[in-house]
Amino acid sequence: MAAAVVRTLGSSLGKNLRELRIHLCQTSVASSGTRNFIEQNYVTLKKSNPDFPILIRECSGVQARIWARYDFGKEQSVSVENMSADQVASALQTLVQSKP
Amino acid sequence: DLTAIMLRLPTVGRALAGAAKGSLASPNPVRAASNMVEVFVDGKPVEVLPGTTVLQACEKAGIQIPRFCYHERLSVAGNCRMCLVEIEKAPKPVAACAMPVMKGWNILTNSEKTRKAREGVMEFLLANHPLDCPICDQGGECDLQDQSMQFGSDRSRFSEGKRAVEDKNIGPLIKTIMTRCIQCTRCVRFASEIAGVEDLGTTGRGNNLQIGTYVEKMFMSELSGNVIDVCPVGALTSKPYAFTARPWETRKTESIDVLDAVGSNIVVSTRGGEVMRVMPRLNEDVNEEWISDKTRFAYDGLKRQRLTQPMVKDESGQLTPTTWEDALTRVAGALQSVQGNDVAAIAGGMADAEALVALKDVLNRLNSENLCTEEVFPTAGAGSDLRSNYLLNSRIAGIEECDLLLLVGTNPRYEAPLFNARIRKSWLHNELQVAVVGHGVDLSYTYDHLGEETSVLKELANGTHPFCQVLSAAKRPVVVVGSSALQRDDGAAILSAVSTIAQNARASSGVEDGWKVLNVLHRVASQVAALDLGYKAGVDAIRKNPPKVLFLLGADAGCISRADLPQNSLIIYQGHHGDVGAPMADIILPGAAYTEKNATYVNTEGRSQHTKVAVTAPGLAREDWKVIRAISELAGVTLPYDSLEEVRARLAEVSPNLVRYDDVEEANYFRQALELAQTVNQDLLAAPLVPPQLSAKDFYMTDSISRASQTMAKCVKAVTEGAAAVEEPSVC
Repeated sequence: MAAAVVRTLGSSLGKNLRELRIHLCQTSVASSGTRNFIEQNYVTLKKSNPDFPILIRECSGVQARIWARYDFGKEQSVSVENMSADQVASALQTLVQSKP
Repeated sequence: DLTAIMLRLPTVGRALAGAAKGSLASPNPVRAASNMVEVFVDGKPVEVLPGTTVLQACEKAGIQIPRFCYHERLSVAGNCRMCLVEIEKAPKPVAACAMPVMKGWNILTNSEKTRKAREGVMEFLLANHPLDCPICDQGGECDLQDQSMQFGSDRSRFSEGKRAVEDKNIGPLIKTIMTRCIQCTRCVRFASEIAGVEDLGTTGRGNNLQIGTYVEKMFMSELSGNVIDVCPVGALTSKPYAFTARPWETRKTESIDVLDAVGSNIVVSTRGGEVMRVMPRLNEDVNEEWISDKTRFAYDGLKRQRLTQPMVKDESGQLTPTTWEDALTRVAGALQSVQGNDVAAIAGGMADAEALVALKDVLNRLNSENLCTEEVFPTAGAGSDLRSNYLLNSRIAGIEECDLLLLVGTNPRYEAPLFNARIRKSWLHNELQVAVVGHGVDLSYTYDHLGEETSVLKELANGTHPFCQVLSAAKRPVVVVGSSALQRDDGAAILSAVSTIAQNARASSGVEDGWKVLNVLHRVASQVAALDLGYKAGVDAIRKNPPKVLFLLGADAGCISRADLPQNSLIIYQGHHGDVGAPMADIILPGAAYTEKNATYVNTEGRSQHTKVAVTAPGLAREDWKVIRAISELAGVTLPYDSLEEVRARLAEVSPNLVRYDDVEEANYFRQALELAQTVNQDLLAAPLVPPQLSAKDFYMTDSISRASQTMAKCVKAVTEGAAAVEEPSVC
């Protein structure tokens, strides 16, 4: 399902967004869904959005969270702690499609 | 007796602490494996490994044995005899530093015989040592002075003439007063073992033994300043620091060096708001206890060419001093009239993370994405998305665990001297094999030179190069690519080839998952933090969209000139030195140098560390992030943070690793990075891989601080024209 979401997103990341930042822990159980999402879908996502920054920032013990930056420096973030890869994908989709 | 009390008190304290710790770990400590040797230090039992020296056993028991020649990072010489101790029932005292312990020995560190031996050695050492402590720069931090207070006699039995030795000119950094030398040979061992230059040695025997370079020449090492710290007496002292301060009058501030990307830990000694000297601070994971000569001696550059007041260009094109109010209003006015690609910023090599994030937030609020670093890093593929792509993942200390190192397009000796010292250490002690692709340079150790052509990289990547067999036989391979190689037009292709080589080496080695093979060695202190924060590497974006307002944050590499920008564009320069960037600016905002601010820097390993304020910035100069914060308010895009804690909280929002001080956050996803790197559609250029710093003369002046340093200029002169070419004041 995550793959399907990524396919739907296509190369549309840059439409509303300026930057994505994914924070996650390298080892925690709570971040495992985010890790899976990155392992399985990051390459596809990046290939369709080659110039869009998807900053993956690993840090031990942090809460898994996706930060989205829109025009004029407006930011939104959503915690993806304890979420599965699919849930992470839909959280991402929400952020990508929203426009503050 | 007083000495006995002084020596014993810490012993008791440590023994108690040790006992407490032991009982916490396990109530009934398991007897160490049977191969441990039990010895007694002043009757107290200690378990040590066989082969441990008497001195180390005493250290384990918490007793310091006086010494001059022994140094834990150098080979054992055993020639000063200061560490003589009595062993119970042994006929004569032994040199503790050189004698391995035997089972059941009772080491008497404070017996009559031990004390007599120390006093005798001290008497002999002082016989030929000048009585010039009052004019000696080592005074107050001299091992000989300190130990003579403990073991020296209060009168002399020496009536002969004292020995005198001619001083040597070994360059503009190290002052020699050879009469003070006690022939401990620490400097000789440092030079040949750690620095890897055989410049220093001894001539003559007995009373005529001398330390020197044999024929007068410069001590040619990028680590030469460390012999000043290693010297236990005042024979080798700092030339620039000579007669300027005493250790007890200086204030010491623990900080971080930013003149390369290693992030050496330093102590900044200051007096009366002036930096008097820079010394190393112990950090086993980074610089051990050494620093490079640039780190140590470029501090005089902090007092020259400084920007001390805001300036604006007047009608005639002259930069004239003005007030902060005026300068900030002008900057804010300019920013209010632009947005999007009309405003851009370039960050230089010494920008701190706090200033970087503030500047990025301001420009993002103006809807600009054109925030660039001077240093280029390939953006094709994963770019700076994955930290593993741009870090020295194996870490500096990790080099000691690897068995094969491939260096690509880098000269670590001058780009990161302490990293090179670590490679040499591993080469010397762990039989590390090194291979180099790139211009042949003197690295202070031997290596397989595979050639400087990029075709070698291609052959290594596709497995046709003969060296691939060696590479695939390696158990713990490490591949390091220099950041200068990635500045080229074919940077992405180079990174892609190197990733493939690393991936193949990792696959064939069968090494465990946690082992990192691919590494990037950066050259400037700001780069990793800038990439962590999401700066674009390289100024291509600015060339493509020439902005109306360009903000230079300490950008002194001259990547962009007026000619690249539209007419009437406004350039703002914020930084601490009037170097390359400031003269082309319309508005100059004076910033603080690394000794003048609390600032975060991330080294090439991804280790976040922070500097501390040692002195206040000169004149009207201010901490950089505060200047940007003030601009944001005037420009109507007020940043939501106003204290150091709040900026750092913002850093954590952007990249949480930035505030994990003294910690290296592991970066993964090599496979994803490689997959993306292989989609890069770029060919390697034929031009050979030549790092920009080839010989010692290229090392000393690389940034705005070291370019402003007279000491560094003298070094360049001495290296090119010989030590005698540098004129020295006749007093010292």
